[in-house]
Amino acid sequence: MATAAPARRNRMDTVNGLLSRLGRSVGGVVGALYQAGRDTIDMVIRNVLPFIAFISFIIGVILETGIGNWIANRLSGLADSLPGLLAISIVCAIPVISPLLGPGAVIAQIVGTLLGVQIGRGEVPPQYALPALFAINPQVGCDFIPVGLALGEAEPETVEIGVPAVLFSRLITGPLAVVIAYFASLGLYS
Amino acid sequence: MGGTLLTVLAGEAPAPSDPGGFNGTLARWAENFIGVFQRGAETFTGLVVGIIPLLIVLLTAVNALIRLIGVERIDKVGELAARPGLQYLPVRYLLLPVLAVFFLTNPMAYTMGRFLPENKKPAFYDSAVSFVHPPLGIFPHVNPGEYFVYGGIAAGITTLGLGLGDLAVRYFYVGLIVIFIRGIVTEVITNIMLRRQAPASDEEPSEVTA
Repeated sequence: MATAAPARRNRMDTVNGLLSRLGRSVGGVVGALYQAGRDTIDMVIRNVLPFIAFISFIIGVILETGIGNWIANRLSGLADSLPGLLAISIVCAIPVISPLLGPGAVIAQIVGTLLGVQIGRGEVPPQYALPALFAINPQVGCDFIPVGLALGEAEPETVEIGVPAVLFSRLITGPLAVVIAYFASLGLYS
Repeated sequence: MGGTLLTVLAGEAPAPSDPGGFNGTLARWAENFIGVFQRGAETFTGLVVGIIPLLIVLLTAVNALIRLIGVERIDKVGELAARPGLQYLPVRYLLLPVLAVFFLTNPMAYTMGRFLPENKKPAFYDSAVSFVHPPLGIFPHVNPGEYFVYGGIAAGITTLGLGLGDLAVRYFYVGLIVIFIRGIVTEVITNIMLRRQAPASDEEPSEVTA
């Protein structure tokens, strides 16, 4: 009995240690999940909902006033063929235009939503959704190059060369992406 | 009810069955005016009900996963990507941008460029920034503020009653191919411009500024 007491206390300590470690790691997981939920709700309220409000208003105006039909005819005339999509992507990738179209991806989001309406109405065949996603977006990040490079701790000389290098590269890779997406969309929704 | 009350109060209004004249025109205008917002409200409800719940749950799960894994682990990939040699091209313009965008998300992903030599930073930025939209169909947490680049077109597919999975996966895969090509093309262009600027820098240093 006298020799068993310290052994039992030892075992008790191990169990206690195990329990507290378990408690701490469960607490860590729950804390991470809770914080993730908080971040998510923050993000939805600050970024997603305001954009939905804005785009709902735009769509309301466009659909009710008849501007929608006008844009729809232009867009669906372009978006239902490979040459048309290439034309959209080349215009968006022109080095002077692309930085202007970039901020917040607002243009890409509005054009994307309008195209979505056209696809929903059956004016644009659904298999063009994939190439269209690339056609409306060759300007992604073109407004942000100096900041993005600065975040990567680039020297000012690198920024000076990097900005035109990325812009010119888009003129090649923008239309190329549409072609790749066009072939990757074979067999999609058909 | 309110309409009849108003016509009674107005006294000289025409019969409510077919409003004409000045008041009728006003009424039609009012209807058209409010119709714009009613159509907008329908769209709003559709988007909030259709997108937000899934987005919230998915974002929470991925955000938690990222917290549990810890973002500092991808620093090692950054160091690996800085090595010269052809076999590190896929690490630099495929693995690193994908991990950076997935774990660090939209603006912070570009900080991974700090591991790379100067002449490869623009190419890495190009590659990483081009990957902030293609995963949106599967992992909207990378850029929820710009969800509608994908979500707008996807809404049309949903309207037709077709599934989104195929489109989302293909968008992701084509995105991978495109960012790899962008990285290589931009690296080549950057090197050409650096070589051209080196001898010209004595006379016209501001030549290449766009």
